[in-house]
Amino acid sequence: MNLSWSQRRKLTGLLLVMPTVAFVTVFFIIPLLMTVYMSFHDWPLFGERAYTGLENYQELSKDRQYLKSLDFTFRYTALVTPPIFILGFILASLVRHNIRYIGVFRTIFFLPVVIGLGVSSLLWVWMLDDRIGIFNKILLDFHLVPKAQLFLGRPNTAMNVIILSVVWKTVGFTMILLLAGLQAIPDELYESAEVDGAGYFRKLLYITLPLMRRTIALALILSVIGSVLSFDQFYIMTRGGPRNSTISIVFWIFNNSFTYFKMGYGAAMSIVLLAILVALTGLQLYVLREKE
Amino acid sequence: MTSRKLILLVFAIVLVLGSLPASAQDDQINMTMWVRSIPFQTQALVDEWNANNDSQIELTVIPSAEFVTKMGAAIAAGEPPDIASIDLIYTPAFAAAGQLVDITDFVKELPYADTLTPAHMALGMYEGRNYAVPTGVDGSFIVYNIDLFEQAGLDPDNPPTTWGEMLDAMRAIDALGDEVYGYWFSMNCAGCNAFTFLPFIWASGGDVLSDDYAEATIDSDPIVRDALAFYNTIWEEGLVPEGASIDNGSNFVSAFTGGNIGMAGMGNFAIPLFTNDHPDLNFDVFHIPGKEGGAASFGGGDVIAIASGSQHVEEAWRFIEWTMSDEAQIEIYAANGQIPVRLELVDNPYFEGDERQMTAASALAVGFTPYTTVYNDLFNDPNGPWLEMLQVAILDGDIDGALELGQERFTQIMEG
Repeated sequence: MNLSWSQRRKLTGLLLVMPTVAFVTVFFIIPLLMTVYMSFHDWPLFGERAYTGLENYQELSKDRQYLKSLDFTFRYTALVTPPIFILGFILASLVRHNIRYIGVFRTIFFLPVVIGLGVSSLLWVWMLDDRIGIFNKILLDFHLVPKAQLFLGRPNTAMNVIILSVVWKTVGFTMILLLAGLQAIPDELYESAEVDGAGYFRKLLYITLPLMRRTIALALILSVIGSVLSFDQFYIMTRGGPRNSTISIVFWIFNNSFTYFKMGYGAAMSIVLLAILVALTGLQLYVLREKE
Repeated sequence: MTSRKLILLVFAIVLVLGSLPASAQDDQINMTMWVRSIPFQTQALVDEWNANNDSQIELTVIPSAEFVTKMGAAIAAGEPPDIASIDLIYTPAFAAAGQLVDITDFVKELPYADTLTPAHMALGMYEGRNYAVPTGVDGSFIVYNIDLFEQAGLDPDNPPTTWGEMLDAMRAIDALGDEVYGYWFSMNCAGCNAFTFLPFIWASGGDVLSDDYAEATIDSDPIVRDALAFYNTIWEEGLVPEGASIDNGSNFVSAFTGGNIGMAGMGNFAIPLFTNDHPDLNFDVFHIPGKEGGAASFGGGDVIAIASGSQHVEEAWRFIEWTMSDEAQIEIYAANGQIPVRLELVDNPYFEGDERQMTAASALAVGFTPYTTVYNDLFNDPNGPWLEMLQVAILDGDIDGALELGQERFTQIMEG
């Protein structure tokens, strides 16, 4: 076979991207198309399937728990994102310079990230336990509370301690992302700003933040997507309780698909959630775009 | 012939000969069986069967919470196990979906069919046909600490027979000390409370579902309100540890073993556990009473069925029938402290003199189980209406709100 140089080049390129295309097709595009297909059906785990058109989507507006879960998920995202981001930024600033033993601190801050979220959630369940948990032990020993607290037993405290556990678990990841962005800023810029008499906040406002726009966008998008898709921590720490006050949207999709076996309905909810996530990410990219 | 060829020839002969017994074994029946992870005697049954029969059973234990999903997925993939030991409440849903083999003709031949636990037999029926028989029976009752009863000046030989007497006993025990409580319930565990709280309603002549299971009767049956108020009083007066309000069932059994709990709803699976692991625990059991007397029990446990698509229906039934034989029921069930599924065998040498086992077994005679294909959505789901209704009524004290919420969400689920 005689191929010209440019033809060979194209063929090589095609061959090189094929594994990725195959991977994305098998593990993303086909499941996505199947989910869309399922969402138009009444699809029980066992028994007959039936085409129902848009019925599953119409059902969504009447599903009180679905709306409640959407509301809860966005409230949770709004509450958990700022602490992860701000704390991540502070930690990144603290471990930015390559001084002696700084690696130890970077490792300590990053350590919770390597634990699975399921495991860390279980760890927190035990630490928060009213009989044997370390938190109650400390609070009681210092006479800060009159009796053991049921942190996961009340809607407000449950939400707060879950946020605390997630910040502890994920802040190291945001720190590493922001650290890479911080270290990419040339020191000369700061030096010349200092010569011009700029203080810490001016440098932060006019050098650090503008030059970290892309990194901030990436960190924010990953954090927001992670929060909107959160499931493990609620499933393990509260099982959606107390009084169903901590059922995230993915939790509700899971319940419908694998507890009530309404797979078609679960698929419809997943498609709507996908659309919401695409819109959210688009919005964030637009707001944080590089201005010409 | 070179030595290399010779080695190859010998190797080929060994391979052919080695495969011969395997082809002879093709006639042997190999069956698969799935069971959920609860401490019944299934492993002992399968071991005994495999040791004495040509056909062999491979047992797979599946976490209880995942059983239905895994079974459904296996059915959908066309690879169900031959035999399945299923939580009895799911049997109507499986039978309705055509996933179980009709065993009516086999059951008819059983001389002792009438003595099999009634709740399990009822749940194993669908449209007048049998699809499952009992394999692990588990009735609910109240377990009580004899030592605490005595310390509180109560008569352990005459345990409470009404809600009022129960409350009085709880108050007396609770007064023994700061760390002593009258009662225990796992108020963040949906299934535990279907098992131990529903019988309070049934024993008083009430129910949360109509007789034909067509509608919810939560807001129309006054007994439901009374039962919620009864439990609310227990909570309000601090007769249970505060931690009970968030217990998801992990302390359902162990809470009572601490020795500081006067009474708790329990099932007979706990009796061998208590006697073997906590020999110092001085306990007895009584039936779950109604408001003014009477008794009821939740008939829980497992039934055993043959999955549609099994190639070994006859042999699977032979195994199932053997599990109900005198030999298996006495030498495996009773010997391990499990109640036989044939109630006439409760009177056996292993249970002789153990009043607790006799009371627990007699609870099964009054055992009842709701028959509905949406049982899981109504009662067992941790985010379902049953648990939310209980928590709102008992822990928050909003009984009206709970009844309204329960009625509305039950109806919604039952109407599909």
